[in-house]
Amino acid sequence: MTEGHIQEQKKEKARRKKSRLPMLAQAGPVSIWMILFVTIPLLFIIYISFMTRGPFGGVVYKFSLDSYKTLLDPIYFTVILKSLRVALFTTVLCLLLGYPFAYYIAKQPPERASRLIMLLMIPFWTNSMIRLNSWMLFFQTAGPVNNLLLKLGLIQKPIMFLYTDPLVMLGLVTGMLPFAVLPMYSSIEKLQKNLLEASADLGANPSVTFRKVTLPLTMPGIVSAIILVFIPSLGTYTVTDMLGGGKVLYIGNIIKNQFGSIRNWPLGAALSVLLLAITALLIFLYTRFARVDELEVV
Amino acid sequence: MEQVKTKRQGKHRLGHFFATLYIFIMYAVFYLPVVVMVVYSFNDARKNYSWMGFTTRWYAKLFSFSNTSLWDALIYSLIIAVLATVISTVIGVLGAIGLKKFEFKAKKFINMMIYVPIIVPEIVLAVATLILFVTFGIQMGLGSILIGHCTFCIPYAVVTIKGRISGDNDTLEEASMDLGANRLQTFTKVTIPTIMPGVMSAAFLSFTLSIDDVVMSNMLAGGSQSTLPVMILSLNRTGLTGDVNALTTIMIVIMVISMLIYSAIRRRMARKEAQA
Amino acid sequence: MKKMMAIGLAAVTAASLLAGCGGSGSAAKTESGAAETSAETAAAEQAEGGEASKELNIYMWSDDISESLVSEFEKENDCKVNFTYMSDNADAINQLTAGAGDKYDLVMTCDAYMESLIKGGYLEKLDLSKIPNAEKNMNKTYWREDIRDYCMPYLMNYIYVVYNKDTCPIEIKGYNDLLDPQLKGQIGSVDGARNLFPIALVALGYDPNSTDENEIKEAYEWLQKYNENVAAYGSTEQNLVNGTISVMLAYDGNTKWAMDQMGDKNSLVIAPFEKDPVQLGMDLYVIPKGAKHQDLAYKFLDYIADADVMAKNLDEYPYSCPNDAAVAAASDDYKNSPAFNFDYKDNIFFQEDVGDALTIYDKYYQMLKVNAQ
Repeated sequence: MTEGHIQEQKKEKARRKKSRLPMLAQAGPVSIWMILFVTIPLLFIIYISFMTRGPFGGVVYKFSLDSYKTLLDPIYFTVILKSLRVALFTTVLCLLLGYPFAYYIAKQPPERASRLIMLLMIPFWTNSMIRLNSWMLFFQTAGPVNNLLLKLGLIQKPIMFLYTDPLVMLGLVTGMLPFAVLPMYSSIEKLQKNLLEASADLGANPSVTFRKVTLPLTMPGIVSAIILVFIPSLGTYTVTDMLGGGKVLYIGNIIKNQFGSIRNWPLGAALSVLLLAITALLIFLYTRFARVDELEVV
Repeated sequence: MEQVKTKRQGKHRLGHFFATLYIFIMYAVFYLPVVVMVVYSFNDARKNYSWMGFTTRWYAKLFSFSNTSLWDALIYSLIIAVLATVISTVIGVLGAIGLKKFEFKAKKFINMMIYVPIIVPEIVLAVATLILFVTFGIQMGLGSILIGHCTFCIPYAVVTIKGRISGDNDTLEEASMDLGANRLQTFTKVTIPTIMPGVMSAAFLSFTLSIDDVVMSNMLAGGSQSTLPVMILSLNRTGLTGDVNALTTIMIVIMVISMLIYSAIRRRMARKEAQA
Repeated sequence: MKKMMAIGLAAVTAASLLAGCGGSGSAAKTESGAAETSAETAAAEQAEGGEASKELNIYMWSDDISESLVSEFEKENDCKVNFTYMSDNADAINQLTAGAGDKYDLVMTCDAYMESLIKGGYLEKLDLSKIPNAEKNMNKTYWREDIRDYCMPYLMNYIYVVYNKDTCPIEIKGYNDLLDPQLKGQIGSVDGARNLFPIALVALGYDPNSTDENEIKEAYEWLQKYNENVAAYGSTEQNLVNGTISVMLAYDGNTKWAMDQMGDKNSLVIAPFEKDPVQLGMDLYVIPKGAKHQDLAYKFLDYIADADVMAKNLDEYPYSCPNDAAVAAASDDYKNSPAFNFDYKDNIFFQEDVGDALTIYDKYYQMLKVNAQ
């Protein structure tokens, strides 16, 4: 190979590099971060799930399928169904309550809209433990709600709000709503006004416009909202423990306990792998049936 | 014809009324726990379980600075949250655009990886990261907590911003390039402004997630300092105390004031621009 | 990686300088950052019998030790005590098994995990001659022989039954009374497999730390009935105070709060158990393997084991305490608290390490809580 050839090749390489630069600059950091801090730990989790629980609760690096055999116990099927049900309820409520909310904010002038968003976020910068405790203080038998109802003579003896399903739902929905509102807001905000006007001018009534124009165009935001609400509520346990009285275990509790008091890391890891598989399956089914190829979810 | 118009307007006004009412109720629900928190920060009880009378002693205790552990924890949490927000939003913006625009071999894989921190319970990822960090002899402390936080903030940022980007971004960018702008100019002057609401949402979500995180902050902490949420969760064994409520109230007041100042400055600047 | 941390730290310093907020706090942060990096050299010096450590890092519960006593210790020894907080006993175990010696000099844990921690080699063996106050003051029933070489007890807690004598429909004299159908929805209970199962096992007449699956299964069936009477698990003392529930299986510390809260109208009584023992749990300090400031750790342990120091601490944090001399020196208010005075205090059992049987407990605990309702 001659000197000139090498020079030429170097130039070619540099040229290619240059055209790749924006891609590297944009997709690079996220890719590197995900590989370093997600893929590697994830591989480690999968690896642990095939290992054995040590006599002192640590991990013994000896291959075993024990954890996955444990998963065959129908109890985990029940737990996952229960968790899915809670997550589904939370997501549906968040979407129903959050969409009009996001829509309203998005239709305000930008300055006002950003102030409203700020106003929405501020409560969430307080600690969630304190917020949950506040709900308990508010609804407890000697709390303000019961006192008011008693004073008004509407009830004879205090109502037990604590540890009931509606209160748990209230805690979950109010905790998760911003994760639904924010992505939907940013997607609705983009919806051009003239498009809606055009639709109205063409004689479509508001409900048709909503179904045929608004909803499809804001679908990406809705999908983001579903992902950001459904998946985290699948693994939640603090709200159900505090407001629900800890009588029911969810998949989040069980995994937490494996990495906590029970110290069965292989089982905890296997449960996480199961959770990953279920979520991947759900996302796959969703993209299949909703035919939202444009969204490139996963 | 006239009649129809007024009828429509009346309907419109009624709709507007209900919309405003709805928004008002929603905000009321969001702020209810905050109000309760503020009220109980004046509660004269060692444990915040029931009302025992009015006091300002929690504030007095905080502002005497006789013990700064709560303040230290708050400042530590704020520093981490701000840094995590900046890092996650920057990486998230770039990543969302990059993953939308370019085709490369590992793209599908990276797209999948982004969902992992949202799906896998935080404790699992935290334990795995802890073991890896210890194995590779990485010094624990602010840096490790920050890495942990960004790892779950980035996916939220990417997902939120991705929901904002779609086909017509390309058209705009192409137009800008055709008009002679270079890539960087196009990026800062065209791409970013069009996705700005998405960026803002991503930043808010990241900050919210980071400022309230316990699991990563707990597992990946160094030996010298805990974040505020970890400290509060630790209190949960014996019951929350009033000073925590007081500190959170102070934090909220500061945030509201800075928000007001910020929007006042923005308005003044906008007016000046309009005049010029 | 290290570079990244450095950048992170630099950014923080810059950010805090720019923000100019809370001068003292941010300054402390940069200092401790610098101190962290010099920790290794400090440890090396110390090994050669050089200077004393200037920093002590403790991992424990928050709001569990008197701040003024800690600052006195700091003054006496010209050092800084840093606290990092845990939110669950299991946190400490996770830290210790991952290798906590780099970060912490003292870690708080509970007796139930000690055997595993010792056998796993995660702890430093203590030189008891360096904590003479503990040798002198500590009640040896609680500072158990089998774990004495590796830990020093700090505070302790009983899990007993307490009820409101005005509203509770029955008198409770043993765990089996908790199954009475009249108590439906009346019980607030501690949670966790290793807190609940021993009670059922005792009620059935078995060893509270049984590893026999058949016995555990029987205990599970007992707990199913118990579960029907439980209103909520977790911290439930506020419900006992406001009358939502009438019985509580809880820690003595929480009971003390509830009794104080009711003041003169206190109608809460500790159930007069006739033969069933109650569980006694220990909060202990251990030194993790390879801890860097062991000299200060010993000084701190000896300081906190001093009768007068601990007595002051008990006035601020009134919990049961294994330090007999400190209890004797504590205030009357502490000594006379009804929450700590019951006549079967010696009829106790400890939570022991059950090894692999823990997974059996977990299995039945899951069944208990999943199949309920």
